[in-house]
Amino acid sequence: MRTLHLKKARMALVALCCAAASASAFAAEYLLTVTRPNSLHIIDPAKREVVRSIAIPGDGVPGSIVVPKDGKIAYVLTNRMESVVGIELDSGKQVFRADFSSPERRIKGFFAVAVSEDGRELYVHQAPVVLGRSEYKVEDTYIAVFDTADGLKAKPRRTFPAPRRISLMAATGNPDHLIALGWDMYLFNTKSGKLEKTFPVRHWDRPGLGEPDVLAMWGTFEQARALSTPYYVAKTDVPPDSPEAFKAGIAVFDLDAETLKTVEFENAQTAIFSSVVNPAARNEAFLVMNQLSKVDTDTGKLLKRVELEQTFYAINISGDGKEIYLGGALDKIAIHDAETFAKKGEIMMPGGADQAIGWLRVVKR
Amino acid sequence: MNRMRRPLRIAGAMALALGVAGVLPAHAEEDGRRVIDKKCASCHLENGKLTRIPEIRKTPEGWDMTVVRMGVWHKVELTPDERRAVVKYLADRQGLAPSESAPFRFLTERRPNMQDAPPDEELAQMCGRCHSYGRVALQRRDENEWRKLMHTHLGQFPSAEYSALGRDRNWWEIARDKLPAKLAGLYPKNTDAWRDWSRAKHRPAAGRWVVAGERPGWGRYTGTMTAKAKGKDRYEVSYELRFGAGNTVRGQGDAVIYTGYEWRGSAQIGNEDTRSIFALSEDGSRIGGRWFLKGADEIGASFEAVRADKATKNALVSVNPQMLRAGETVELTLAGAGLDAKIDLGPGVEVVEWLDKSAEELKVRVKVASDAPQGVRKLSVGGRESERTLAVYRQIDSVRVEPAFGVARVGGGTNPPMTAQFDAVAFLDGADGKPGTDDDIRLGSVPATWSTEPFNERAKHDEDLKFAGHMEPHGQFLPSFAGPNPARRGLNNVGNLAVVATVADGGRSLNAKGQLVVTVQRWNPTPLR
Repeated sequence: MRTLHLKKARMALVALCCAAASASAFAAEYLLTVTRPNSLHIIDPAKREVVRSIAIPGDGVPGSIVVPKDGKIAYVLTNRMESVVGIELDSGKQVFRADFSSPERRIKGFFAVAVSEDGRELYVHQAPVVLGRSEYKVEDTYIAVFDTADGLKAKPRRTFPAPRRISLMAATGNPDHLIALGWDMYLFNTKSGKLEKTFPVRHWDRPGLGEPDVLAMWGTFEQARALSTPYYVAKTDVPPDSPEAFKAGIAVFDLDAETLKTVEFENAQTAIFSSVVNPAARNEAFLVMNQLSKVDTDTGKLLKRVELEQTFYAINISGDGKEIYLGGALDKIAIHDAETFAKKGEIMMPGGADQAIGWLRVVKR
Repeated sequence: MNRMRRPLRIAGAMALALGVAGVLPAHAEEDGRRVIDKKCASCHLENGKLTRIPEIRKTPEGWDMTVVRMGVWHKVELTPDERRAVVKYLADRQGLAPSESAPFRFLTERRPNMQDAPPDEELAQMCGRCHSYGRVALQRRDENEWRKLMHTHLGQFPSAEYSALGRDRNWWEIARDKLPAKLAGLYPKNTDAWRDWSRAKHRPAAGRWVVAGERPGWGRYTGTMTAKAKGKDRYEVSYELRFGAGNTVRGQGDAVIYTGYEWRGSAQIGNEDTRSIFALSEDGSRIGGRWFLKGADEIGASFEAVRADKATKNALVSVNPQMLRAGETVELTLAGAGLDAKIDLGPGVEVVEWLDKSAEELKVRVKVASDAPQGVRKLSVGGRESERTLAVYRQIDSVRVEPAFGVARVGGGTNPPMTAQFDAVAFLDGADGKPGTDDDIRLGSVPATWSTEPFNERAKHDEDLKFAGHMEPHGQFLPSFAGPNPARRGLNNVGNLAVVATVADGGRSLNAKGQLVVTVQRWNPTPLR
């Protein structure tokens, strides 16, 4: 299975070599996703095809994918969340690698990886545990800062403390700032390591509402420059058996304005895993799991919903806001019309490879 | 997070592959201490002293899970003999006293559809959301060692604080700062119970036993078990179980006694491969527990035994039937050991004819007076009052489905389906004259006809009845295959059903409902859930 997959990947590489590079003059959009065991795929959504599959060196399973503004190198969290590997998209080569763990200390990064807009620094939220001879010792979490020029044996250049349980990070429009989503949203200064501002999420003080449950594991903010995530929250001012007692909402953090907006849009009735904001109509957000939904984040109205053919965990959108991309589960990326929700196409992963918990990113070249 | 599940899954598979710890025949018995010195000490030895291991007490299953984890996490390779030896060694020397394991025997015995009751909300949330609380309560450590467990827990399962069941709180801070002292208070390493038990000499299980029990779906049985010693704490065991006229099953197997009382056996009974998890009473005169099918531990039977030796006097193990209707004349069979043909069945129940008298079985015809007092009564044999009871009733006031909330799991691939067995139990209303209240009097299991319905409107809309599986005539629900089922996207073959028992009582018909959730597969079938 593994051999077959790699063979296919290699064939794709030979046949479509430099497809991404040759397209650069048109500033076209490409999708990036990852599959088991450890592959990165470059997809041309217009042609509905995988243009290149790259075998990431080492162990999988790949998950988060972050790309700086120039779209040249994709940094992939892999090796059981213990490494970030930088892959140059044009050559398919590994140009950066940070292996977090050592024999004495196991360090995981739970999805929360970000790269600066200029591509110089990589940020990873890390959860370490010291592996003693006969006991473990869990240590405090922190954000490690890597220099992406440090090649294949990169070690953190500096670290600064950060709360536990952070699952998503992004560089904001301020080159010194990093936003991190955990229990609350934390705005860090990456130069000073200072936590400059906390946007309360878990600790919001909203009368009649409890603490929201958020697990944002999919970073899709590049098109509208808005980091968004669905959440669930109990309404505490209605009886527990009321249909109103549990609401679904969406949180949107504007990466340039550095503002957080939260809005509930329905009585919770279905599980939703991830969301993306429409770059062409920034009040619209699309959400996915077993259904595709559209929400007006200004009015809190659910605008549209359809049942999907299968479960999708990850969602993204074309730069013109016309096409929705669904992936992150099984071996399929589905393309839906953002207006009608009609399915317009699909792209199958080579060899039926499983996207597992992989992200779905758009790069412009 | 899928990946995080993997080690557990492997651990579970390994635990199953070797069955209940130590039940296989012991050829070439290994010395547990030698295994520890050879295999464990490479990490667990500092300044000539073992670390961690001596600081913990656990059940045989608890120790076995630890040993399996050491294999999965740290590549400790043990032969099956070494694994059995080390578990036996540790469970014998660092086990739980009978009184310490008693509250959680339902977990050890793998009784299906049980919910344990943690002592407070914090422990329920921190421990009992993801695994049984009993898994914790069947361990003994001091505070420092409990804290080390917390570090291991998050160190090995780092997704715990991100998971849906852990992320609504500062899981790690609570685990590190609050739980160790609390758990050490509840489950300390050093206790009087363990000191006394570990010093006492325990009676071997060898000998003949008169046994009884009930297998839901089959009914009650009585019979005999003979345990023949074949080495320290090891027995060859034969069974003869009589489920009723024409349904006698015989079996042969082995058993090992851990910690002086924890019986773990395997036997072929009839055409079924079974496992037994029993406990000897502290004085060694009785055995109680449960046996179940290997690979389908939800299907099993309760088990009680009394020692059938010369010293035993009037030890009753079973009365059948357990329910007598006022005004009727019925045959009654009492099973036990050293029984004298002298019984007192309480007011209004008279022996009208002796049908059989032996030390192990008394068979009588009794007349139940039409004005005999209703309710549950104790009875005595040879002047000795028994714990066994007999119920007298005029009519069944209500029926309950047990379990009231049952779980079945779809099957497929490497995971067999998990069925759900239901039982219809008759009750009297009790003093308040109302059904469903605390003072209802439990009469016993009664035959029923079984059916299923959608539990609610949602289940009706989703056609759960059509997809989730089907109910067998004896109250066992057989779930469907796991899927994928293209006809039910997003649901496959899960379902939420009402289980309906219809019981005939004279000319009347009584109904009772329970709930059955047919849910997804379980991937980590550990011996202690």
